[in-house]
Amino acid sequence: MIKMREPAWRIFAAEYNDSMHVAESKVEKSPKYVITPLGAKVNRLYIVGVLTDLEEMGGEGIRRKARISDPTGSHIVYAETFKPEVAGILADIQIPSYVAIVGKARIYEPEEGVLYVSVRAEIAKEVNEEIRKYWILEACKNMALRIDAIKEGMNMKNPSVANLVEIGYPTIIAEGVVEAIKLYKEIDIEHYEILLKEALSFITSKKIDIKKNLEGEEKILKIIGEMQGNEGVDWEKVVEEAIKTGIEKDSVEEIIYSLMEKGLIYEPQLGKIKLV
Amino acid sequence: MNDEIEEAVEEIISIVNVEREKIEDDLKRFIDYGVPLSQAKDAILHKYGKLSRERKIKDIKANERGINTVGKIIFIDEKEVEVRGEKRKIFHGLIGDETAIIPFTAWKDFNIKVGDVLRIKNASSSEWEGNPRLSFSEWTEITKLDYDIELIKRAPKKYNLIDLKSGLSNVEVRGKIVEIEEREVNIADEVRKIFSGIIEDETARIRFTSWKDFSLEENKVYRIKGAYIRNWRGAPQLIFDENSDVEKLDEEIFRERRVIPIYKVVEAGGGIDLLIEGTILELRKDSGIIFRCPKCNRRTREGVCEEDGNVDAIPDLRIRALVDDGTGAVDVIFNREVSEKILNRKMDEYLSIAKEAMDYDIVTEDIEDKLIAHPVRVYGDSIQSDFIITIFAKDAEIIGIDAEKEANELLASMGD
Repeated sequence: MIKMREPAWRIFAAEYNDSMHVAESKVEKSPKYVITPLGAKVNRLYIVGVLTDLEEMGGEGIRRKARISDPTGSHIVYAETFKPEVAGILADIQIPSYVAIVGKARIYEPEEGVLYVSVRAEIAKEVNEEIRKYWILEACKNMALRIDAIKEGMNMKNPSVANLVEIGYPTIIAEGVVEAIKLYKEIDIEHYEILLKEALSFITSKKIDIKKNLEGEEKILKIIGEMQGNEGVDWEKVVEEAIKTGIEKDSVEEIIYSLMEKGLIYEPQLGKIKLV
Repeated sequence: MNDEIEEAVEEIISIVNVEREKIEDDLKRFIDYGVPLSQAKDAILHKYGKLSRERKIKDIKANERGINTVGKIIFIDEKEVEVRGEKRKIFHGLIGDETAIIPFTAWKDFNIKVGDVLRIKNASSSEWEGNPRLSFSEWTEITKLDYDIELIKRAPKKYNLIDLKSGLSNVEVRGKIVEIEEREVNIADEVRKIFSGIIEDETARIRFTSWKDFSLEENKVYRIKGAYIRNWRGAPQLIFDENSDVEKLDEEIFRERRVIPIYKVVEAGGGIDLLIEGTILELRKDSGIIFRCPKCNRRTREGVCEEDGNVDAIPDLRIRALVDDGTGAVDVIFNREVSEKILNRKMDEYLSIAKEAMDYDIVTEDIEDKLIAHPVRVYGDSIQSDFIITIFAKDAEIIGIDAEKEANELLASMGD
């Protein structure tokens, strides 16, 4: 009998990290799934992003914790002792660089109703920008498909897997979406639609004005680009310059954090900023 | 009170094959003696239990015992299974009457053949994909009957070839015969002529076998009703026979090869003439340079072939990789020719690199570097495999995708 191998979900950090529910099957030894708010039913993930941080973990053997940034946020990725080669590969990759990770959903529920999800890496590899863009596209397509399926499902009296499959959704999408509708009382679809458009505009040359911040982002990127030396530029100097261009002080900090989340800038050392 | 007794009598008659008068007499006697009705009912059922009525196949439900029925064997095949560490030969197939067709499993050899009409006593049933499946065990009695019975003529369900999966029965398809070949097979000491080949519609290509001569011709389009599907060498196969209707159509079919999402391939249990796109996420062990026996083509270990002993092994390049598109995953085997194409490097180059480094792992490292995380388009057939659907690539290429263009299209389709 052929057992289906879990597909590797291309999923943005913002959506994955928002997950509040885990699905467990009654069948023994069957895997646990993270059910995301938009109905991804995740056991295995494939993520590509910017390696922005690598931390040594305590305990026995080699354990490392990495942050992989995508246009929406950062995935937390663990390289555990049983995969020393993965921890090794990550340590050899310069920060920042584009990396691809294949891994399993890592679930931590310290108490009822509290859920932390991350990724346990099985494979890590440094990749190029083209592959990163392709991954963003795939993650966007998958997200768009699930947004459509969630909307269809919510319009049904009794959303069922069979009904969603009938109108053309893959079984795996239908299963996750039906569970998400059941588990999440309110799904802020609009929030994720904005996120999706933002992520898409990341790979299109035609930047669209989704948020007012976008203009500010470009200004600040330009400032950093002009002022950074080998070691980056002082945080305070960027804020000073940005205010001169007419951005509010509060917004400046917000924009800098947002640029970091997106993996466009990073801190080579505390208090310094540099373009990726 | 009388109504209740009446109801009980009806119920008993529906279960056992005994005249009404007898049942009424029995029931009255029990009640006269003060036996509660429900117990009286059970006692009578128990008394006539051995005469338990023969049921129509549609009335058989999952997880029942003591099932008696009459049915005709539509299809039977044998397979080996392991039961508590022991290899056993079991038989499985389809059985039907004028009310339904369901799958069955026979746990011993009852010498059943296709077309046999059987009286079955004391069978049981289990559940298979939500439907009942009959099971014939050591305790089941089977007698061959010398008359024929009609089979159900429910309207077959229409399918595109891409949606066919192993286990379906009574399907209707429409397709063009791409290839056909006549051959003889030995089934239970009987020589039968069969016709097998490849049929296609707009959505897919699939292997077929016809157990009857329908005078099928290549390049002609047919509608086939009442066919069923089973898995053969790692791909679904369309089967039809004397119970099926085949009609020649005055139509043409043009198939454009389209990319199939991988979950479809997984759900179908494989297929032929498949075009898939996905990302290479993992290389399986023994990808790279391997050595083969010049006589039998088997893989050698340290110059030794398990069949031919010490041989002058010849090098070969092959890759086995996991390809995943986010909806599902398959293994793909790339032979030397296709590997050289996607790597853009000849085996000879790899051989000299490996010789210089005195290490063949260096080749595997280069392959990993070139392929992992890269999207690839693969064309080929699935082959028999146990754990994951495996596709043998007849052709493949690394996909160069214009992410920006596609992203613009997706944005445009979303509106504001």
